[in-house]
Amino acid sequence: MDLSILEALEREKVLEVLQRDKLLRSLEDERIRKMKLELQEIRRKGAKSFARQYSERTCARCQRPLGKFWNCGAVCQGCSHRICNKCRIVISAHEWKCTVCHAFREVKIKSGDWFLEERSKKFPGGAERHETVGEKLLKSYQRLSHISIVPPTPPPFSEGPSFSRSGGLQTSRPFTKSMENLFVSLTSHMKKVSKSQNDVAVVDRALLTADYGKISTKERRSQSDTAINRPFGLTKAPSLPDLFKRPKSEDEEGAGTSEAYTDEDVSPNTEYHEEKRGSISSLCTELGIFTCNNSVTGEIELALGYSIKTSCLEISIRACRNLAYGDPKRKKCHPYVKVYLLPDKSPNRKLKTAVKRNTTDPVFNETLEYQIDGAWLVGRVLQASVWHAGTLKRKVFLGEVLLPLESWDFEHSTTQSTKWHLLCPRVTAPEGPEGGAGEIHHCELMIKAKFTSSPPQLPKAADHQREETHMGQLSILITGANNLAILRSSGSLNSFVKGCLALPSGVELTQKTQVQRRRSGPDWGHRLLFTAVPEASLKGSSLELGLWDHAPFGLPPRPLGRAKLEGAWSLQKLLQTPNMWLEFSLPFHPSANGKKM
Amino acid sequence: MFCAVSTMTDGDYDYLIKLLALGDSGVGKTTFLYRYTDNKFNPKFITTVGIDFREKRVVYTATNSNGTTGKTFKVHLQLWDTAGQERFRSLTTAFFRDAMGFLLMFDLTSQQSFLNVRNWMSQLQANAYCENPDIVLVGNKADLADQREVQEKQAKELADKYGIPYFETSAATGSEVDKAVITLLDLVMKRMEQCVDKPAQEAPNGDGASKLEAPPPSEKKCAC
Repeated sequence: MDLSILEALEREKVLEVLQRDKLLRSLEDERIRKMKLELQEIRRKGAKSFARQYSERTCARCQRPLGKFWNCGAVCQGCSHRICNKCRIVISAHEWKCTVCHAFREVKIKSGDWFLEERSKKFPGGAERHETVGEKLLKSYQRLSHISIVPPTPPPFSEGPSFSRSGGLQTSRPFTKSMENLFVSLTSHMKKVSKSQNDVAVVDRALLTADYGKISTKERRSQSDTAINRPFGLTKAPSLPDLFKRPKSEDEEGAGTSEAYTDEDVSPNTEYHEEKRGSISSLCTELGIFTCNNSVTGEIELALGYSIKTSCLEISIRACRNLAYGDPKRKKCHPYVKVYLLPDKSPNRKLKTAVKRNTTDPVFNETLEYQIDGAWLVGRVLQASVWHAGTLKRKVFLGEVLLPLESWDFEHSTTQSTKWHLLCPRVTAPEGPEGGAGEIHHCELMIKAKFTSSPPQLPKAADHQREETHMGQLSILITGANNLAILRSSGSLNSFVKGCLALPSGVELTQKTQVQRRRSGPDWGHRLLFTAVPEASLKGSSLELGLWDHAPFGLPPRPLGRAKLEGAWSLQKLLQTPNMWLEFSLPFHPSANGKKM
Repeated sequence: MFCAVSTMTDGDYDYLIKLLALGDSGVGKTTFLYRYTDNKFNPKFITTVGIDFREKRVVYTATNSNGTTGKTFKVHLQLWDTAGQERFRSLTTAFFRDAMGFLLMFDLTSQQSFLNVRNWMSQLQANAYCENPDIVLVGNKADLADQREVQEKQAKELADKYGIPYFETSAATGSEVDKAVITLLDLVMKRMEQCVDKPAQEAPNGDGASKLEAPPPSEKKCAC
């Protein structure tokens, strides 16, 4: 029998096995998907959301009120939330878990996540740690076989000892590279990778234990970017299941304080039990009145899911790791996470997690929910910022991530897996002096925008580039404003809007609307129309809208404020959905009185 | 404790458990698994090409800590069969990392295959998902008593040294085959619970009661 035929048969055989394995895997994937979907359902019922008031005195799962002396609930060892009698699952005489923690545990076992997690402790690998060897082989073979269709160039003569096993094979070998050889190269490569990672890991761990305290935060950050830091991070991995692994001291403390501290940013002169919306110090943090930590380190783990059925955006804040100390001098850190859907920064749209005490690797495992229509996600950016709840209501900024929701893949909406995101320093600088009092920062201008591309015209002149002939119309409809303080004080306005579309080429197109007289409420229909907008350059443009109050008797008009529509993602969206009205709410910066715009 | 379930192509099971058989060429890994899944014996020696797997669904009944029987679960077993031949070594060892438990097999009629158990153990330590995975040592071909080269005492000592269970099986008669697999499955099932419930470090098997009764930490310091 010809050896080359045998090897081909071997390869066929192995591939057939791998195909069967693939079938089983897809069955398994589907099962896990369903399981996680069910878990999501259970979690949703107990999710904290701004629509539902939650406090220390309600069960974190069913939201039933809890009494002070009887039926007062107890703190779940897993999530540190207060849970009523009915939402517990008793494991033994002394042990119980809340429904959500119990379901988490079940899913972790049944999905095989326990295995992946254990293995990642030994083989710290990146994203592809879930991939099985069979899967990898199958993929790499498919890729290779695809390539081998192209007639290969003759190999160099000194190819390798493994090839000279049978003499007569020299000519046919390049075409039928045996599966075995493929395996050898692939597996040795895989081993090399994992080995080198391990080596680095060992060295690094030793280093970290030796002078962990001395390593500056700057260094820690640079390490977190590489695989080097992974084993260190992973042993402390603040993933879901670590809920169950936390040392009891932390559990106990968390139980005692975390709930109480959710209200921590109520200003000193308000009652403790006052509604936490619009807390003063939170305004302060938005206004830049906070201590800015000079160094931002670490990552945040979160997942996003959007349910079209319930119009609900779910943000699962899992954990953070390698945070900088909020109080570097005393090596203290009491982190919590605050979430906004930018540009909406109104206080009642702010969501926060509980404060975790004394940790730079907090595990939150909280799901925050926004009821928001899908269309409104256009142009929104999820801002998740991490703060240190310091003493005397002092907040220290620890970092933030900004995630444009438009580019987010909500396709697998309910089973989004969590991802680690590197925390960044604040990108949006604190507002300048025109950002006077606190309230004004939560104003927003509601607009609708539509891009209509004109039918392509014939090039008029030969020297014109073709792109420039693709012109379009940008229609803007200013529909109203939120929380506009000026309106409330003066009662009515004679408003008009000036719009300025700045193209990347430096050209500015300016438009002005008619004055709408004596409209009391902020429900206008200011319409702007920019014609001859080059389609190709819309993405890089910005539209500034100024709102003015028309003054009588020829006096100069009074500027009320301005807002800006910019950013590639929102303008891109306009291009992608031509002839459709898209809604935006833009942060509106009111002008200080008399200030020239 | 276990019983077979018929249908296999749906996702109606609670756990997918991946086990893997390894050992020298010719110790009977394939026939062992064939006996376990189909309860049949094929005396012909057909060398396994690289890798293969067989499947079986069983019902697992959990045992509580106090010894009573608990819930029952449907378990889908994926039993990986590996080639013992040297030339497939790099391929087969690569598959070690995806298995949750291992049937380390040797031939009771071959002293050499027994001596190689140590080598297979170190291969496992290097390639399996963790340093001390669940392993069951299996001495196969127990029915060939007249050709026996490895004594039970010898093998038992080695297993004790590694702290793993040992079974003498016969794929030909079917003796102890089920028991060996079941024991391994039981170890894996217990391992899953441990991994989820206990901290990653070598935590003592303390029960929940001690957790609840732990004194509150006296960490609170004045913030002023």
